[in-house]
Amino acid sequence: MRRFLMTQLLVGMVTALLWNPAFAQQRITWWEHSNPPHNNYSKDLVAEWNKKNPKTPVQYDFFAMTPYFQKLTAALSTRSAADMFTLIDFLLPGFTAKKVLAPIRPEWLGYKDLEDMKKAYIPGALDGYIHEGKLYAIPPIASGFSLFINRKHFKEAGLDPDKDYPRTWEDVGRIGKKLVKMRGSRMVREGFDFAMHSSTWTMWYFNTTIRQYGGEVLDSSGKKCTANSEAGVKAMNVRARIAHHYKASDPTVSFGTNALPADDIPKGRVSMFITHAGSVAQFGPKMMKDLKVVPFPQVDPKNPVTPIYGFALAVNPHISEAKQKIVHAVLKHVVNDSKTWYERTSYPHPDKNFLNLPGMEEARTKRYLGVFVKDISNGRFLQRSDKILELNQAIHRAMERVVLKKEDSRKSLDRACKEIDAALAKK
Amino acid sequence: MSRKTMLRLGGALISVLTVGGVVVMLLPYFWMVSSSIKTGIEVFDLPIKWIPDEIQWVNYPNALTKGAFGVYFFNSFVVAFAVMAGNLVFCTLAGYGLAKFRFPHRELCFRLILSTLMLPLEIVLVPTFLVVRELGLVNTYGGLIAPLAVDAFGVFLMRQSIRDIPDSLIEAARMDGCSEFGIFWRIILPNCKPALGALALLAFRDNWDQFLWPFIVATTDDLKTFPLGLAQMEGIDSAAYHEIMALAVLGMIPAAFIFLFFQRAFVRGITLTGLKE
Amino acid sequence: MGREIGAGRTSPSMVRRSASLLRRWGAGGGKSSLHSHLRWAGFFFVLPALIHLVIFKFYPMLQAFRLSFFRYDLMSPPVFTGLENYKLLWENPLFHQSFWVSVKYMFGVSIPEWFFALGLALLLNRRMPGRAVIRLAYFFPIAMSQIVVAMVWKFMYHPFGLVNTILETFGIGRINWLSMEESALPALIAIGIWRGIPLFGVIYLAGLQAIPKEYHEAAIIDGAGVFQRFFYVTIPLLLPTIMFVMVLSLLSAVKVFLNPLVMTEGGPNGTTRVLPYFIYETGFAFFRMGEAAAASMVLFVFLFGLTLIQLRLLRRGGVE
Repeated sequence: MRRFLMTQLLVGMVTALLWNPAFAQQRITWWEHSNPPHNNYSKDLVAEWNKKNPKTPVQYDFFAMTPYFQKLTAALSTRSAADMFTLIDFLLPGFTAKKVLAPIRPEWLGYKDLEDMKKAYIPGALDGYIHEGKLYAIPPIASGFSLFINRKHFKEAGLDPDKDYPRTWEDVGRIGKKLVKMRGSRMVREGFDFAMHSSTWTMWYFNTTIRQYGGEVLDSSGKKCTANSEAGVKAMNVRARIAHHYKASDPTVSFGTNALPADDIPKGRVSMFITHAGSVAQFGPKMMKDLKVVPFPQVDPKNPVTPIYGFALAVNPHISEAKQKIVHAVLKHVVNDSKTWYERTSYPHPDKNFLNLPGMEEARTKRYLGVFVKDISNGRFLQRSDKILELNQAIHRAMERVVLKKEDSRKSLDRACKEIDAALAKK
Repeated sequence: MSRKTMLRLGGALISVLTVGGVVVMLLPYFWMVSSSIKTGIEVFDLPIKWIPDEIQWVNYPNALTKGAFGVYFFNSFVVAFAVMAGNLVFCTLAGYGLAKFRFPHRELCFRLILSTLMLPLEIVLVPTFLVVRELGLVNTYGGLIAPLAVDAFGVFLMRQSIRDIPDSLIEAARMDGCSEFGIFWRIILPNCKPALGALALLAFRDNWDQFLWPFIVATTDDLKTFPLGLAQMEGIDSAAYHEIMALAVLGMIPAAFIFLFFQRAFVRGITLTGLKE
Repeated sequence: MGREIGAGRTSPSMVRRSASLLRRWGAGGGKSSLHSHLRWAGFFFVLPALIHLVIFKFYPMLQAFRLSFFRYDLMSPPVFTGLENYKLLWENPLFHQSFWVSVKYMFGVSIPEWFFALGLALLLNRRMPGRAVIRLAYFFPIAMSQIVVAMVWKFMYHPFGLVNTILETFGIGRINWLSMEESALPALIAIGIWRGIPLFGVIYLAGLQAIPKEYHEAAIIDGAGVFQRFFYVTIPLLLPTIMFVMVLSLLSAVKVFLNPLVMTEGGPNGTTRVLPYFIYETGFAFFRMGEAAAASMVLFVFLFGLTLIQLRLLRRGGVE
């Protein structure tokens, strides 16, 4: 059986070598998920590289977002993946555990070592990509979430958007309640909402809130679910209270607006909404005039915790060391210019000096980059686990039961933990 | 009420239902077309404005520049036509063999063929990819086309309709000294035109719209098909829906033409299937 | 009326006699050269398709079957674990849920399809002004790309979307289709039916067109009315097509995948996590390809059994 597989693999590899002209020409292939601003900028970066390095040209291709990771997995599984590819941070533990990523060599990027490299980044911005002391991907994005509020709606409710914006979750509920608009028994405008169209977004919210209460989703060994702890129940209650106690949101909307999770705020269908820096460009300057961005709500504003995530570039370990070195040079070329990166993609870059670069004043004041970067620097990545997607789904289902069906938070989390423990026990 | 008025009333009722059904069936299209001529911000405006104040025809040329859509359209055509041809040939042959001959293990053969419809693509994706890779077909037209060239759906469809052809026709031809292939060509094919029309239509439609398989096999832009180009217009959390809808409208035109073309096969079929021939 | 036609799909009795003669030749253990010649001819007609399926379908299916006894994360070598995957599935309540969601979806979509598609085909088979245009209009849902279907319907089902706007005009309140456990699956079923009716309508239409006009003419001469003709001419002659639609609608409905993936992520609370989605998720998101393969085998056995039962029932009904 084993031998059969090995032959299969060998035949595959030999054919791959034979008909892949890339090998002879040292052509580098790069795969990315679809996201139009990134894709356009990446294409330009590649054109620039190819002009300077005609002997080692990069072939860049991008693929539809939803099944991109499936394609990547299938390709890694059959050893036909690109030489470098883009990954989202929380999938890294799954991939590193299976040894399908090559470690990044800081020395090839011009740093002394990993510690030296960390100093060039916003504190903690590389944490999501480090596994057992080694870095496995380089992030050109450090994205977090902040609170968007509608100035007009605030003024209508007799509130000052510059002073009265919420700092804590209780504020969100209290103020949100005042912003709600009803027609008969139906809510036609929500005071507050958080996109819950996908389990990952739910987890970003829950994981952050449980940390704000001093808890974690998994214990330190990563083998046991602790989401049903006191902190977890409190975190779950935050979302439940906003919906049921303050009645500031219609939860069926936030679970159902997956057409465009962040589209309800510019349309005025919700007054406060949590989303990321990329939304500023998406909404456009005209709509942003009515909006304001304030920090991510906290349990205790003195000890802030926020969610952070990013896409990062990883290296295929199945290519020769010489080629890996060239790929590193490409990586450096791609992540080098943080200001242009931001201008073209509208996502913040984790470069330490990013905010203070010349020419960033306008972005800081008009596009709230200061708020975003502040939140990002308080940010913590999602729970690291190679079973993260199962964790996300279990928590998402628990949240659905609590918010949509008013199930007791602890009971719902107990069930989620049972599901998570079962998943963690599997090899 | 006389029989005539009843019939007339029934006819009127059917007409009303027909038109009503058309509206329900087409509602999503109205929205699609309407969205394709709006600005990006207007697309999700509520209440819905079916005709925007300013019609944005410019969405169409703009959308076409957002990817190599000429190439994607061409590739989809190549794949859809090749797969359609493969299905028409192989499925009809197999359908004939299964419908009109007795050979050892015929039923087993038929069931085995049917069984290929019972596993979701997701699970055979990696093994199929390995086969295609070993044949050296990754990122080639061959790789896009070959695994789809025969579909048990078509075999089953053709078997069912060929069963309807009276054995007498076949037997008469055989008596006249017609070869087995001659029978297939001169008796079977003309007599199952409606089914061939349906198969051609559905095979074209399915493969024009094929997504997961090309997505895995095509790794460079010059081999992507139209649905791949369309899907990659969607970003992580934003998308130019007005332009996507413009492309979607364009993407339906070939299938609509194919339908208009093949639906004549259904009409013609009547006169050709008679026993008198 | 009905003596000849109602008895089955055979034509005049002479034809039937010669056909049965032929059949006897084929079935009997005769030594005639015609017999073996025909035997091989039949097989050779099937052979090209069979070779193709062996390479591109049976081999991958066997691989999937083999994998169901292995622990395989797609990236490390598979480890043989015997029946472990099946045991894990049996103990996994989410798998049980998915199975029943799939069953509900499958029948929820296909049973209405059987009737509506036949009605549509009968309708479009009539002579009427603008028939080509009306046919095209009904055909349109299958011309829409499946990716666009998901996008468009997501908006239709938006809490403030088109469907609710219509409901509100009629004084029925807003329903948050995709975020309520009660309505999410029916909402997806409606899309399945909307898309499936024209597809099977086309197949029925082809079947109706293949019915020789002479049968209807003969029945009219015998004085049969519309309904009699429908039950004694159309239905018996359409039975092979009906069987095809009954089998295929179930098999195609059960494979739905993109809509739950894009529109609901299997939620709320797993109520739209159909089995193919469970399989996809287990294999490609949770990296447990062996377990996913085992789940597929369960699906396979279920569908195969169901199809065989259908074929048998229909055979007893005189179709086969």
